[in-house]
Amino acid sequence: MKTFTSDIVIGLEIHCELNTKTKLFCSCPTHGNEEPNTRTCPVCLGHPGSKPVLNKKAVEFALKLCIALNCEISPELIFSRKSYFYPDMAKNYQITQYEIPLGKKGKLRLGNGKEIGITRVHMEEDPASLVHPAGMKESAYVLVDYNRSGNPLVEIVTEPELTSPDEARDFMKQLIGVLNYLEIFDINEGIIKADANISIKESCYKRVEIKNITGFKEIEKALLYEVKRQKEVVKIEQETRSWDSERGITFSLRKKETEEDYGYIIDTDLVVTEIEGKWIKEIKKHMPELSQDKVKKFVHKCKIKKEDAEILASDRQLAEMFERVSKEINPLLAAKWLRRELVRVLNYNKKELHEIELNEKHMIDLLKLVENKKITDSVSAKILEKLVEKVFDVKEYVKKEKLEAVSDIEELEKYCREAIQENPKAVEDYKKGEAKALNFIVGAVMKKTKGKATPKEVNEIILRLMK
Amino acid sequence: MSTADFIKKIKSGEIDIVEHTEKIIEDCREINKEYNYFNTISEELALEQAKAIKNQIKNKDKKIKSKKLLGVAISVKDAICVRNIETTAGSRILKGYRPLFDAFVIQRVKEEGGIIIGKTSQDEFGFGAFSVNTFNVPKNPFDRERTCGGSSGGAAGLSQKLSSHIALGESTGGSIVTPSSFCGVYGLCPTYGRVSRNGLIDFGNSLDKIGPIGKAMEDVALLMYVIAGHDENDSTSLNAKSESYESFIKKPIKGMKIGIIKEAFGAGVEKEVEKNVCNGIEELEEEGAKTEEISLELPIKYGIPTYYMIATSEASTNLAKYCGMRYGAVEKLEGSFNEYFTKVRSRYLGEEAKRRIIIGTFARMAGYRDAFYLKAAKVRTLMINEYKKMFRKFDALVSPTAPMLPPKFSEIEKLTPLQHYLADVMTVSPNVAGLPHLNVPVGFEKNLPVGMLLIADHLQEGKLIQLGSAMEKGK
Repeated sequence: MKTFTSDIVIGLEIHCELNTKTKLFCSCPTHGNEEPNTRTCPVCLGHPGSKPVLNKKAVEFALKLCIALNCEISPELIFSRKSYFYPDMAKNYQITQYEIPLGKKGKLRLGNGKEIGITRVHMEEDPASLVHPAGMKESAYVLVDYNRSGNPLVEIVTEPELTSPDEARDFMKQLIGVLNYLEIFDINEGIIKADANISIKESCYKRVEIKNITGFKEIEKALLYEVKRQKEVVKIEQETRSWDSERGITFSLRKKETEEDYGYIIDTDLVVTEIEGKWIKEIKKHMPELSQDKVKKFVHKCKIKKEDAEILASDRQLAEMFERVSKEINPLLAAKWLRRELVRVLNYNKKELHEIELNEKHMIDLLKLVENKKITDSVSAKILEKLVEKVFDVKEYVKKEKLEAVSDIEELEKYCREAIQENPKAVEDYKKGEAKALNFIVGAVMKKTKGKATPKEVNEIILRLMK
Repeated sequence: MSTADFIKKIKSGEIDIVEHTEKIIEDCREINKEYNYFNTISEELALEQAKAIKNQIKNKDKKIKSKKLLGVAISVKDAICVRNIETTAGSRILKGYRPLFDAFVIQRVKEEGGIIIGKTSQDEFGFGAFSVNTFNVPKNPFDRERTCGGSSGGAAGLSQKLSSHIALGESTGGSIVTPSSFCGVYGLCPTYGRVSRNGLIDFGNSLDKIGPIGKAMEDVALLMYVIAGHDENDSTSLNAKSESYESFIKKPIKGMKIGIIKEAFGAGVEKEVEKNVCNGIEELEEEGAKTEEISLELPIKYGIPTYYMIATSEASTNLAKYCGMRYGAVEKLEGSFNEYFTKVRSRYLGEEAKRRIIIGTFARMAGYRDAFYLKAAKVRTLMINEYKKMFRKFDALVSPTAPMLPPKFSEIEKLTPLQHYLADVMTVSPNVAGLPHLNVPVGFEKNLPVGMLLIADHLQEGKLIQLGSAMEKGK
C-alpha cells in the first residue's frame, strides 16, 4: 500500500467536452438543434456497417491541452474499444484510449503554488444522454438522446496529490482557466465533469470513488460532504458513490472487490494517427498566451505586483479585461480595481466574470472618473457593485445621481465648519489627545457630502480649521 | 454471351433492360425455391433501376456510354448494406433492419449502372465455412445435399447457377474463396483496405474484405475495378486509385514465378482435391510459369489459432451493439436494461455467434489478453513477414482452397466446432496477412468442383487475375 503523508488524499478524473464544430468520429454538429435525436447519423447511432473517421481538429485541441499541461506526448494516437453494456452506449463499446494515452506525466500549478501531477490525458467519445422523465429514482423508463453521442471528450487524470476539497476545487478552477485560455472548451455551454477518488487517514485510506460531479463549485461541496461522512461512519468500504447535487449528498452506487473488466482491444476501424513533431510545432506556434506568460508580461510591462498579476492572469476574461483597461488607465490603478474590487464583488455575488455583462468599457468609464478624481473610491466601489448586478452607462449615472466628488474647497470648508460646530464634544476629545475623535468628525462630513468627498482632503481641512 | 457483349446489347437497345431484369428476377425466384441463395430478392429496386436506365437509353443520355456495369445483375452478400433493403448479415437479430445508407461498393455499383437483384444468404455475421449457421441455408449447385461452403455461400452458389450475373461476396477468413471452390466459380478476395468496408456489417474489422465472385474471370476483374479505390468514409481504406484489372485478362504468364506451399499438400488433404490442384499447377507450367516448392510453416501451423483469436475478439465487440434497442429484433420491454438485452441476445443470436462472443470476450479479458489477443497480434506480424519474404522471389503462392470436396449437410452435422474451424486451414493465413487471394476452379471429382488457391503480395490483384485468366483459356 502506498504511504500517504496527508490526512486526506484526493485524485481526480476529469471529463471535459472539447468545443469542436463536429463530433469526434462523424460530421454531425456537436451543438445546435436541441430537439432530441436530430444531430445524429449512422455513425453516432452505432448503426451496422457505419465506420468512424477521426476528426483531426479534436486531436489538435487535445494536443493543445497536453502542451499546456506540460505532458509528454505520444508519437502515435491509438484508439481502443472499452466494452460494457449500457443504454447510453450506441455500440455498447466506447471508443477511447487505453494503453498509450495521448499525453502523460504532465503537471498543473494550483493557486497556492503547489504543482499537481497529471497522470494522463486521453481522448474519447461521449455517450448519449439518458433522460429520466420523472426523475432519476422514480422513472419507470428512460429516454435516450443521441445528440451528444460521439461528442469529443478529453479525460484528465491526476496523481492522488490533492490534500483537501479546497485544493480539488482550485485544481478544477485552474484547469478550466487553462481550457478557457486555449479556447478548446465552451465555458458557458460546455460540460466538465469529475469523478473523484477520495480516502482519509481515519479509514486507513480506503478508496471511495465519487462519480458525476459537475463543475468546480460542486466538487468542493461533494468532497466536503464525503470527508465528513467518512469521518462519521465507523467502517468505510471500498465503493463507488454518486453525487446528488440537488440533495447535497453522496449515495452508494456499487460496492466492488475488483475493477470492472472492460476487455479493451485496439479499434481497428481506426488507423494509427502519427503525431509528428512538425504538427506539434505548428500547434505551438498558434497557441495563445497562457496565464504564466501573462503574469510575466504584467509584472515587467505594467510594473504591477506579482501576486496581483497572478490573480489577474488566473482568469482569461479578467486578464484580457486588464490588458484593455490598462491601455487607458494607469495600470497600477487598473490592477488594484480589477484584482481587488472587481474580484471582491464577483465573489460576493458568487459570479464568474464570463457570467455577467460588465465589460472593459464600463470599467474604463468608471476608472477614468476615479483617476481624474471626479468620483471618490467609495462612490466608485458602490457603482461597481451595481454594475455587476446590471450594467448601465456609468457617466450618465454619475451625473444623474449627482455623485461627482466635492472638489470645491469653499464648499467643503462649509461642511467642515458645520461638522465642527455640531460636534463640540468630539472636538474637545480630540484636543485632549484622543486621535480617534477626529475620525468621528470626518465621518460626519462624509455623511453630509454623501461620500462625495475624499477622506484625506476632509481630514486636512478639519485639522486646519481646528488650529 | 460475355458480359462485355451483353453490355453492348443493352446500350444498343438490342436487349430490353426492363424485360431482361424481369426475366432475371423470375430466374432468381425459381432458383431460390430449390437452393436458398437469397435472403431477400430486391425486385422493386432492380426494376426501378432498370426503368431509369431504359429512360436514359431512350433519351440517348451520354452518361450511359461509360457505364461499366450497365444492366448487369449484381447480387449482394447480406452483410453489405443496401439502402432501404432488408439487410440481416444472416442473423435473426437483424430481421427487419433496413439500412439508412448504401455501402460504398453499392454506391459504386449503382453509379456504374449495375442492377441490385438481392441479398444473398450467408453464415450469421460470416461465422462459418459451410453457410449452415443461419436461418436460410444455401445448397450446393451440383448436389443439393451438400454445402455451398461459407460464409458467402449464397453468392457463390448463385454465381454458378445464374448466368449474366456477378456477386459481391465478403471474406474474413476465407469466406470468398471457400464457397467459390465448392461451387466451381472464380472468387477474388482483395488486399485488406483495397475495397472500402464502409457499409459492411462488421465481423472482424482488421480482417473483413469485400470482393467479387463470378463465373468468368473477366466478370470478377470488371466488378473488382468498379469497387476498388479510396473512400474517405473508411479510415482503413488504402489511398490508391482503382486499376484497370481487365487489362490483366489473357495477359501471358510466361516467366511468372509460382511457389507451391509444401505444407498444404499431403496429410489432411483429400486425394481427389490434391490430384486436381496438381493438374492446375501443371496447366500453369504449360502456360510458361515457373514453379518451385516452398515451405511456409508458420502460416499453416499457427494460422487457425491466430485467426480465431483476432477474429473472435473483434467480433465479440462488434456484436455488442445488437441488443434490441435501436434496430432489428425487439422483445417486450420489461425488467432492467440488462435483463432486456440478455433476453433479446439469447433469443435471436445463433449458437455459433454466441460461441464466438464467448471465446472472443474471454480472449480479451484482463489476465488473458496478453496470452491470447495480444500474442495473436504478434504472431500476425510474424506471418506477414514470412509471406513478404516469399513475395520477394515469387509472383504468387499456390495451395488447395479447401482440403476437401464440398461435404454433405449430414456430415457437417457431425463435426465438432474445432473440426468445423479446421476447414479454413488453407485460407485463414492469407486473410490474417491481408493478402489478395483467388479461387480458380481446376476440375471436377465425383461431379463436384475442386478449387485452387492463388495468393499474391499486397495490391497485386492484377497478377492473380492474370494467372486465373491463363488457366481459364483452355476451357
